[in-house]
Amino acid sequence: MTGYVSPFDDRVRPEVPLAPRLGQLSGLRITLLDIRKNRGAEFLDRIETHLRSDGAVTTRETKEIFSKPAALELIDHITSISDAVVEALAD
Amino acid sequence: MAPALAVSGVGREAVTIQSLTANGCALLLFVSEECPTSALAMRKLGPLCQDWEKSGVSCTAVFEDPLEVAIRTARRSGWTGRVVSQPPPYQTSRAYGLVSVPTAFLIDRQGLINDRVIGWDHAAIALLIQRAAKMAATTLPIPTATEPLHKPGCSSKAALDPEIAAAMTARSDDDEIEEMFERGWTDGLPVVPPTEERVEKMLGKYLPQTSLGPVPPAMGEATLERLAACAVLAGCRPAYFPVVVAAATAALDSRFNVHGQAVTTQPAGQLIVVNGPIRHELGLNSGMGVLGPGNRANLTIGRALRLMIELTGGAMPGALDRSTLGHMGKIGFCIAEDEEVSPWPPLHVERGFAPGQSVVTLIGSDAPLSISDHRSRTPEDLAYILAWAAASTWSTNWWPLAEPSVFIICPEHAEMFRAHHWTKQRLREYMFEAVHKLARDLSRGETTPFVHRSDPDAEVRKWRSPEQIILLVAGGEAGRYSAVLGPCTGMGSQIVSAEVAAR
Repeated sequence: MTGYVSPFDDRVRPEVPLAPRLGQLSGLRITLLDIRKNRGAEFLDRIETHLRSDGAVTTRETKEIFSKPAALELIDHITSISDAVVEALAD
Repeated sequence: MAPALAVSGVGREAVTIQSLTANGCALLLFVSEECPTSALAMRKLGPLCQDWEKSGVSCTAVFEDPLEVAIRTARRSGWTGRVVSQPPPYQTSRAYGLVSVPTAFLIDRQGLINDRVIGWDHAAIALLIQRAAKMAATTLPIPTATEPLHKPGCSSKAALDPEIAAAMTARSDDDEIEEMFERGWTDGLPVVPPTEERVEKMLGKYLPQTSLGPVPPAMGEATLERLAACAVLAGCRPAYFPVVVAAATAALDSRFNVHGQAVTTQPAGQLIVVNGPIRHELGLNSGMGVLGPGNRANLTIGRALRLMIELTGGAMPGALDRSTLGHMGKIGFCIAEDEEVSPWPPLHVERGFAPGQSVVTLIGSDAPLSISDHRSRTPEDLAYILAWAAASTWSTNWWPLAEPSVFIICPEHAEMFRAHHWTKQRLREYMFEAVHKLARDLSRGETTPFVHRSDPDAEVRKWRSPEQIILLVAGGEAGRYSAVLGPCTGMGSQIVSAEVAAR
């Protein structure tokens, strides 16, 4: 009996650790990412109001389309201007 | 004298020493499934059997296993001769005084044992074959002298304690089909286990480590070896693999956005349309029941692509595939176009390929909706009926669609348009113009921002342009049933074609 060939990609991928948790929001730069899903912007509006009332400085960004991964340039841009990101993911 | 045979084979006629030596002499090779030396002997001698038979030397593998096991084992080892089976207590093996398998016997025309070789002994086998050649007054091919030249055999079941022999032939609890389920290598239906041998055959000349890129959503890498494993699991023949490779290449083109299709709550599946000469070479169905069961090539090619997305890409329903309902086409959805019956240029030619090229075209789509029309007597009426069937696809008031609608036009409907000299473009334009409503009549429930923005008395069409209407011809020659496939929307998913490479 010979072995099987797996259809899975069985490579072990290194675990990505969680980013350090934020202790407070005051003065931090928070990006709100709208993926262009229907009414996602309304949800982000409410979140943004709460974040600002806690002293965060907010920025809004949007993905090209909800059904594709964000472009690497957008991810790099958000990383460069943000302390944290809130993404309105799906519905 | 050689003892009589108490064996059963696949044919109705009894296998006897007389029948085996009728044309000259007979080689009997006693073997058993679980003996590696038996496998070696069958692998070495099996391919030569047909040449020996032509020279009057019959070639028979006598198994100490049930017949179905014997046939499967012989096939796997490349044995091209006769296969017979003997039940416990292995009366024939006992009669031949067997101690181990494999043991080869050469029996002459008079039914006398002329030679015997125990285990695998290349030089002794070569001598036995030469003796047979002499009896048949001819030359016979001899297996090449490659290592191992000597290999001891395994104990014949006839030589074992009956209890041990019975335990060895008891049905094992290990069921390789069940093992596939346990490994999760399935879409929910039984699969063909992807053994190294099967995957190697599937690959043929393709290089196993060539990569088609990451498969969304989990981004497992689609090496051709993994894709071949999916094709084996799906039940493909190796001849189908170039089509599977082309389909996977097209599916992984970023313009197709299989990522979105794989994880969406929509029912979207991936329709593969095959055009060009490969349809005939592989026996793909473009005729009767084209959207349903019955054809191995259609069903397994479509399934192979889906297994790549589900297993290598991780988009199993209920896991990363979040489709609310799914549809049966997500098991596999591959059709061929009936280019010979179609009055129009086939899909791949419309998309810029030459008629003689073999091409797959991938379209993200929902399930088919059948359209019955037995009573239209003009092409205008038929076009109207076909077009309006698409009016409620995706959602009743979702006008206009941003994505294409695929219509599969049955031959009898196609004949109506042929008889009236309607080009494909004329039909598209007529269908496009036929389906319109006032914006006010589309405002209820789910509707589009376009409708909301429109004047209530403005006419809205189901499509933005005639080019969104894709027309294919396929189906049985009798019957007036065409179909339209619901679209995959909101994905930015484009139709992608890829040429099928020669194997």
